[in-house]
Formats: sequence, structure tokens, C-alpha cells
Amino acid sequence: MKQWVEQFNGRMDAWGRKLHEKEIRVPIDLVTGLVFALFALAILLVMPDQVAISEKDVVNGRAFPTLLMTVMLLCCAMLIGKELYKLATKHPLNWKVINIQVEAKALAILGILLGTYFLSKWTGLFVVGAIFCCLGFLLYFRCRKKSYYVITLVVAVAIWAAFRFALGVDF
Amino acid sequence: MLQYIAPATGLLFTLENILWINIGVFIGSVFAAIPGLSVILCVILFLPVTYSMTAIPGMMFLLGIYCAGGYGGSVSAILINTPGTPHAAATMLDGHPLSKQGRTKAALKIALYASTFGGVFSALMLLFLGPQVARVAAQLGTAEYFMVCLFGLTIIAGVSGKSMIKGIISACVGLLLSCVGTDPMTGYDRLTFGIGRLYMGLDLAVCLIGLFALVEILAKAELKPDALHLDTKKMEDNGVITKEEYKRIVRPVLLSSLIGSLVGIIPGTGASEASWFSYNTAKNMSKHPEEFGHGSVEGIAAAESANNAVTGATLIPLLTLGIPGDGTVAIMLSALMINGLNPGLSLFTTDGDIMYAIMLGLILVNLFMLLQGRFLTRLFAKVVSIPQEILTPIIVIFCFAGAYSVNKNYFDVAVALVFAIIAWVLRKLDMPAVPILLGMVLGNMTETNFRRALLISNGNPSIFFSSIYCIIFLVLIVVAVGTIVRGKLNERKAAQTAGKEH
Repeated sequence: MKQWVEQFNGRMDAWGRKLHEKEIRVPIDLVTGLVFALFALAILLVMPDQVAISEKDVVNGRAFPTLLMTVMLLCCAMLIGKELYKLATKHPLNWKVINIQVEAKALAILGILLGTYFLSKWTGLFVVGAIFCCLGFLLYFRCRKKSYYVITLVVAVAIWAAFRFALGVDF
Repeated sequence: MLQYIAPATGLLFTLENILWINIGVFIGSVFAAIPGLSVILCVILFLPVTYSMTAIPGMMFLLGIYCAGGYGGSVSAILINTPGTPHAAATMLDGHPLSKQGRTKAALKIALYASTFGGVFSALMLLFLGPQVARVAAQLGTAEYFMVCLFGLTIIAGVSGKSMIKGIISACVGLLLSCVGTDPMTGYDRLTFGIGRLYMGLDLAVCLIGLFALVEILAKAELKPDALHLDTKKMEDNGVITKEEYKRIVRPVLLSSLIGSLVGIIPGTGASEASWFSYNTAKNMSKHPEEFGHGSVEGIAAAESANNAVTGATLIPLLTLGIPGDGTVAIMLSALMINGLNPGLSLFTTDGDIMYAIMLGLILVNLFMLLQGRFLTRLFAKVVSIPQEILTPIIVIFCFAGAYSVNKNYFDVAVALVFAIIAWVLRKLDMPAVPILLGMVLGNMTETNFRRALLISNGNPSIFFSSIYCIIFLVLIVVAVGTIVRGKLNERKAAQTAGKEH
């Protein structure tokens, strides 16, 4: 078992080192402008379906969201325009470096969070998800101290008990 | 005012309130002492607990966390040279050097006394200034209120993050999220995308758990778990502060408390700005400026009194106008509103006894912070070194339990997870999350006043420029935008110059 864990950790370390070297450079302001411009346009497009109005209304329920999306579009246009101007005048763009290893780790953490959620939901027992969460994170951090496992599991059950019995949350 | 003091005192001094104040102060101190955990995270995690409470114990609990968070951050700043909260960074400059000189207890004591004084000073400011501002606020109509909301949102969008444009986009996202659910004026569904549970709108606490708490868990991907080892022998000095030192800290404490309170009233500015500004002022006014950065008692006192003096002052715009001074008090607004307490003059008249109980309670919170600080600092110090391996799953369990407990269903947990993913993406795009929070908090008020004003004027937008208050706020918005843009340009120039020099 110990050997298997060592092998697994070794493989993960090698994989991590490879991923650590992989980076993506993103023109961050340009991408942000485009993403939110598309978002604003999408909201404006679905607005007639998503916000019902009455013909009698002087100011209807679409007015405020439409105003917001217009402001958002203007801001996006400024962001994009600024970056395009930089591109035209050969000034450096605002770049952001995204490390693949960090994103892979974030995905692993998200996996633990989703596991906790689905286990709690499917079993109907929050405490089962809580125990999974503790074990998941301790393994993620490669914790070898037995005392940490005992402490976190005891605290996890204690939190569940506090919500269940002291605050009356039935889960 | 006096007619409310006696009933408010009766409402405040109950065993339940005292207990919740102490629990709040303890939790706030512990959270703030741990580097990486913030006061806002703590308030978000424990907000659902207050949903089953009445207004006074609920607010006392949250204010306990908020105020003690101001002091707790200094513990790790002094002990391990790592500020528990961002606003304790100025304390660290002198706190840790004094600790290295073998005077850890003295440094912690100065921080505690200065924090308590700043907090009490700020609470008194709230008590005396709050009702006066509320009287002015009562004269505002719907168009003026819309301009007030716009002012608060503009400042917070401007000062959060590196780019003002991105801040405004974030605020728009927050305001749009507040539109999800039933239209407050017509009752029609909006932006629910056929999901039945969204009919009631997005619950603020659930969204914040995702936006601010769970995203910090995802951010663990960026860090390696570092165990912070605390040498408890450090705390074995006698902790004596000499008479001369007491004399030296009086002036910076008084001045910094005033600065902190004034900074706190302005929406968008917070404890960090107040503590740095006060630290620099104290340094400029000191007879011993050479000691700053090398364990100056004045430096610790100035930074700590200023960051705690913000606590009461941020509540002034919150309770009178509904404009939160910072992200943490924005969350408290929802705790107030859930109990039917809406900001404005009525809060100081119709609900005067409750409001004065909360304001007097803020003084009590600071006094209990002093007591817990005197007797439990050794314990808070030990908490500093809790390893990430233990903390991380505990925070996640708290987040999930908190999200579930709001409406007792797993849909809310899923919403929190979705918001965590959105927050992670926003972080990658360098988008600040605080304007989203403010947008969500102020969304309903902003939209309702916007639409009512237009209804009154029959759709004519000139109503937003029709009164003197509207024009005052418009000028304030223009001045604020100008100042923020100028500041950002100066920052950029300074960064470019520094880059060239290197």
C-alpha cells in the first residue's frame, strides 16, 4: 500500500512538473471585453423571452436590465478599443499568464467539492459528504499525519451535529 | 435620542446578546488571526446562523466578528510577520520588529488597547452622527436615492481592483443578478430561465458563499500548504508598557481614530486605507520618526486604532442611506433587512429602540474584545499555526452546511458551487468580486428608485438632474471618478518608472 502511494505520488509529481512548465498567455483585457460583450448581447437577446412586460407600463421590467447591459457593452467597447489602440500603436497589451498546473489543481479541488455535493445529495446524509470532503482534502494535501485525519473527521461530524441538533437543520 | 437609550439598554443587556457578542468576538479574532482567512469570509460563513435570530442578537454576533476581526489580524502580524487580514499590514511594520526585540506581549497589548479605543470612538461617532445623517437622508426622494446608489456603486467599482472599467462591469453583473426572480414592481418572473427555484431570486448569502468563500478553496491550487510555526516562547515577556510609551501613543491613537472614522464614512474606502494613511500621518508627526519600521509603539497604535475606527463609521452610510461602506457591512445589511429593518430615518425613529441597542452594542462589542484580548490572546496566537490541511475541509463543510441551511435544500449548495466557478473565472479575468456583492445588495434599491423616479416623471430622465441633492451627488460622482482615474494613472506611471529603473 505504502509503495503504491509512493508510486502514485511520484507519478503525480512528474506530471505536475510537466504541467508546471506549460503556460498560456492571454491578452486579458481584450478577452474580458469580448467575453462580457457577448454576455451582454446574449442577455439582451433573451430579454424578450425572459422578462414579461405589460403594454401599459410606462417603465417596464426590462428597462433596468437593458440599461445595465448597455452600460456593460459600453465598458466592453472601451476595454476592447483601448487594447486595439495599443495593438495599432505597437504598445504592449495587458497579458496574463495562466499556469496549467494551477488550473489542473483547481479542477482537482473542484472535483472534491462536486464529490462532496453529490454524495450529500444522493445519500441524503450531509455527514457522508463531509467525511468524503475531509478525506479528499487530506489526500490532496498528501497529509501523512494520522492525528490530522482524526481531528478533521471529528470536527466534520461536530459541525454536522451542531447544525443538525443545535440549529435544527435536518440533513 | 435620549428617549431611546433606556429601552435600548434594556433590550441590549440580555444574557442571549452578551453570549452572542462573545461568540462573535471569539470567532472573529480566531478567523482574523489565521493568515488567508478574512473577516468577510467569516461573516459570510456565519450569516446563515443569524437567519434564525432576531435583529439584535444577530447583529451583535456579526458586529462581534467584524470588530474583533480588526484586532485579530494584528496577532499574526506581530507574531509571525504575516498579517492575518490585509488591514493589519501596517501593524506588521512595527509590531513584528517589537516582537523580535522580545516585547511580543507589549506589542499585542498596544494593538489591543489602540483597537479598543478606535472601535469605541467609532461607535460613539455612529451613535451621535448616525441620526443626524438619517435626518438628511429622509429628505431624499426616489431620484436622489438612485443617485446615492449610483454614487456608492461608482466609488466601490472604482476602488476595487486595478481597472475602473472592470469594476463597473462587475457592478453591472451584480445588479443584473439582483434582477433574477420576481419583478419587485410588477410581480412578473425575470431571468429565471425556467428554473422554478429562481422565482424567489438568488439568495445573497448563498451567492456570497460561492463568490468569496468557496473560491478561496479553489485558490488553494495556487499555494503550497505552508505550516506556520509559532514559537510560543516569544510570548513570555512581561508585557509592560512604560508611562512614557503610554504618553507617546495618546496623540497617534486620538488622531488615527478620527482619521479612521472619517475614512470609514466614505463608501468604498476601508480599514486598509485608514491604517496606512494614519500610519504615515503618525510617522510625519512623531518626534521619533526614525523608530518607525523598527518597533515603534506609535506605529502600532496608529495603524490599529485607525483600522478599528472604521468599524462604526462604515455603518453610518449603511444605516442611514443603505450604502455599505465596505463589503463586510454590505452583508450585514441583509441580516438587518431579513428582520424587516430598512435603512433610513425610520430605523432611528420607528425602530429607534432596536437601532440604539445595536449602536450601544457596538461599544459593548469593543469592551468584550478588550476582555477577550486580555485573557485569550495566547489562545488566538496558537490558532495562527493551524495547518491548511485541517482548515480547508472545515471551511468547505461550513460553506456547504451554511448554503444548505438557508432554505434547507441542496439547490442552494449547487448555486454556491456555480458561483464559486464563476468567481474563479472572474479572478482569472482580473475582475473584482466586491462590486458584484455591492450590486447584489443595492440592486433592488437602485432599480426600484430608478423606475419610480421615471414613473413620477412620466419617463423623462431629466428628473435625475432636477433637485439640488441630485446635482450634489452628480458632482460627487464626477469628482470621485476623476480622483480615482487620476490615482490609477499615477499608480501606472509610478509602476512604469519603477520598471524602467529596474
